[in-house]
Amino acid sequence: MNEMMIKLTSVTKSFGTVTALDGVTADIQAGEFFSLLGPSGCGKTTLLRTIAGFEEPDSGSIFIDGQPMRGVEANRRPTNMVFQSYAIFPHMSVAQNVGFGLRRRRLRPDELQRQIDDALRMVSLEGFGERAAHTLSGGQRQRVALARALIMRPKVLLLDEPLSALDKKLREQMQLELRQLQRAVGITFILVTHDQEEALTMSDRIAIMFEGQIAQLSTPQDLYMRPKSRQVADFIGSMNFLRAEILRRQADRIEVRIEGLGKVELAGDQASHNADDQPAAGVRPELLTILFDETDRAAREVEGEITGRSYFGDMTYYEARLDGASNAVTISMRNTSGRPVLDAGARIRVGWEADSIILL
Amino acid sequence: MSPGSLRSWLRSPDGRGLTLVSPPFIYAVLLLAAPLAAVAAFSFWTQNYLDLDRTFTIANYREVWTEPVYRVLMLRSLTVSALVTAVTVALAFPIAYFVSFRVEPARKPLWIFLITIPFWTSYLMRIFLWKVILGYNGVVNGSLLQLGIISEPLNFILYNVNAVVITLSHAWAPFAILPIFVALEKIDRSLLEAATDLGDGPLQRFFSITLPLAFPGIFAAALIVFIPTVGDYVTPRLVGGPSGLMISNMIELQFKKANNPPLGAALAVSAMFIVTAISLIFVRISRRYLRERA
Amino acid sequence: MNRMRISWLALYVCVYLLFLYAPVLLLPIFSFNDSSIVAFPLSGFTLNWFALLWQTETLHSAVRNSIMIAAITAIVSTMLGLCAARAASRYAFRMKRGIMGLIMVPLVLPEIVVGVSLLVVILQFGFELSLWSIVLGHVLICTPFSVVVLSTAFNNLDRSLEEAAIDLGETRWSTFRLISLPLIMPGVIASLLIAFTISLDEFIIAFFLAGTEVTLPVYIWSLLRFPARLPSVLALGTILLAASLILLVSAEFIRRRGLRRTGATDRGGLF
Ligand SMILES: Nc1ncnc2c1ncn2[C@@H]1O[C@H](COP(=O)(O)OP(=O)(O)OP(=O)(O)O)[C@@H](O)[C@H]1O
Ligand SMILES: [Mg+2]
Repeated sequence: MNEMMIKLTSVTKSFGTVTALDGVTADIQAGEFFSLLGPSGCGKTTLLRTIAGFEEPDSGSIFIDGQPMRGVEANRRPTNMVFQSYAIFPHMSVAQNVGFGLRRRRLRPDELQRQIDDALRMVSLEGFGERAAHTLSGGQRQRVALARALIMRPKVLLLDEPLSALDKKLREQMQLELRQLQRAVGITFILVTHDQEEALTMSDRIAIMFEGQIAQLSTPQDLYMRPKSRQVADFIGSMNFLRAEILRRQADRIEVRIEGLGKVELAGDQASHNADDQPAAGVRPELLTILFDETDRAAREVEGEITGRSYFGDMTYYEARLDGASNAVTISMRNTSGRPVLDAGARIRVGWEADSIILL
Repeated sequence: MSPGSLRSWLRSPDGRGLTLVSPPFIYAVLLLAAPLAAVAAFSFWTQNYLDLDRTFTIANYREVWTEPVYRVLMLRSLTVSALVTAVTVALAFPIAYFVSFRVEPARKPLWIFLITIPFWTSYLMRIFLWKVILGYNGVVNGSLLQLGIISEPLNFILYNVNAVVITLSHAWAPFAILPIFVALEKIDRSLLEAATDLGDGPLQRFFSITLPLAFPGIFAAALIVFIPTVGDYVTPRLVGGPSGLMISNMIELQFKKANNPPLGAALAVSAMFIVTAISLIFVRISRRYLRERA
Repeated sequence: MNRMRISWLALYVCVYLLFLYAPVLLLPIFSFNDSSIVAFPLSGFTLNWFALLWQTETLHSAVRNSIMIAAITAIVSTMLGLCAARAASRYAFRMKRGIMGLIMVPLVLPEIVVGVSLLVVILQFGFELSLWSIVLGHVLICTPFSVVVLSTAFNNLDRSLEEAAIDLGETRWSTFRLISLPLIMPGVIASLLIAFTISLDEFIIAFFLAGTEVTLPVYIWSLLRFPARLPSVLALGTILLAASLILLVSAEFIRRRGLRRTGATDRGGLF
């Protein structure tokens, strides 16, 4: 499992004056479900296309399974791609589409048929072989594109926003199926997405990209709980920022005073800010708790006042100002039965924990 | 260049594009650019009966730009062409408007087809048939006589500039209708509804919205008709009579019967120069107009 | 008020259509008219002109020449057009505007200039004028039309389809053959038809560059001045017009039946 499949070293690519990739370095493990996440235009597609061989990097190197890829054309690389538009050949049947890449292998007709049937079964499209490609629905096209790529048994499967054209229900179903499929075939998947939820639920590891650079590469949990920069913290989920002041710094403990929360001691891995910058304490909305009942107690408590709220059915998001803080915070609360909905102006007690704080 | 870098150049977009474009490009260089250069060279030489004197001279150009014969022909070509352009575009606009705004969407292709059918016959035959229509015993005179509108055949409609204008306006009709139609089709219909909403009457709406938005199509149509008609050869020859001849007829005469290719070349170069200049000015003006409005 | 305006416009459209159709309507009339002078009044019905078509050997060879030239022109200009259109729609290369501009120039060049310049060169180099010199000229003026038609076809072709084929192991050439070409086929056919039609009807270049053998338009031109057999040419025109109409209508009919079978929605097309 810890074998290295793809090694990217300082990959750089410009289009005219636009720098699409700016020194991307990353290792991707064999059998890993790896996601590239980032805002539109950050270079995700370009990185995928350089791995696939559709773009040649200006500098830097790409190794796939130990082989250098410079000068190797797309049709000779051990990668296959699922295109954002699916790129189903409209003038062919489903079976012809799925079997397209096997043409060159000159298989016996019955062997070819068997492989096509297997591939179709894998994506739950048994019996669709003779259908004309242009009669398929969006979800079915996506499955055909997957089958067509997987039948080649690539070392790496590249997926460029494969789910973005589907409606919400189907997208959630396909997220599960894709993940299961990847486990079943054991092929390295690299998925491009700009949907953070998609990346978090599906991936083993995620690379967050901004402006052609990888800002952080880590597991979903780590990215969520321990973002390395405000940009990353902001991009994944939402984060409250409160002004903080470092009081004392020891080997692996840091004592800070946080506006609105007070004095607290943090572990070393909770702080990853640049020493020059004015630090800020970040805390996720769901890690602040409104103590509704007189009897509710928390390890640490502060007081504040509700300034607004938005109701989302299962959740309510409160805007609140903690006493002594200059910024408002958001607190998300699950709507359980018997819990009141608070109005602006209500006084509240807020509970929190020291290890939910990160210093950025 | 080393073999390796040549190979990688051949795989770059630049190398691939140039390789791919080279067959049509080389063809155009050999059979268009080189011949045009030859014509340009000819225009500076002199024909001495059977052989060609290759000393540089601008005598041909002096003749072309000063002799009244050529000036008359050149001016006539330009005025006829301008007239044809104006007439064709003006006549075509209501048709394009009708098909775009009054015909049901499903029927539009049929109407476009209907408009192009008459042009599925030989160009020469069409022009010849205009001669039959406009002639002394022609359809127009016959009908007018029959209806008692005139008492003897009109003779100002054939073998003169009028006939050339009518015939060319017919020949280029679809080339004017189609670009205007395309421009009208692009107009967002909700703009018109918005204008009505703001209380514009139909006429006001037409002049404040439809017509300005159709200008790109009108400009394109004008250019498409103007450029080739200046150089038309067949129509003046068949229906123009002696007073309707144009510059192309003179170019042909010089190259063939008069056996003076250098003069013919100077005529051709001058004509191309003038047409290009007028077209460029026209393009510049229409661009500026369109930009100012935007 | 509204009704009035529409009917004025409709009236104008009728008159204009009459203007457009005037020459075409005369074509059949005179091809059945029993007189070698093409003028009114008509003198009686005859099928002789159609019969004469079969006997005129020069006409036959002119038609043969024209069809051969048009067919070669269509194929060559479509192939050149494929190269240029693909390069222009897929790659950024040096001096692209200039190169494409030169290829497209014949679109705005009077045909007489093309004819004259080729004539000068061919004669200067001491080549014989022949049907091939006409082909050279026709390919030159038809290529820009092919480029326009094929560029549209390539631009409408989703690039990722070609990339998908390459990704699945095909070479550039086999990708073109298996994916691009089938998908731009309507454009290729349109390009062939347009080039064929333009070449078939082109007169001036053929007039300048014809040697001893002539094309149909050049033959018609000679008849226009010595018109004894002219009505038989009109008869030929009638036949060609009828044939092209039948062809177009049946092509549309087949296209629609095909559409109905695949259940696709109708976009474009004639009726
Ligand atoms: N072929 C190209 N020519 C010129 N610029 C390009 C090309 N491809 C990408 N770019 C530019 O490179 C940058 C990165 O593009 P890329 O497509 O990789 O972004 P992305 O992260 O995939 O965005 P999205 O989420 O919108 O798909 C963009 O600024 C884009 O405009
Ligand atoms: Mg992208």
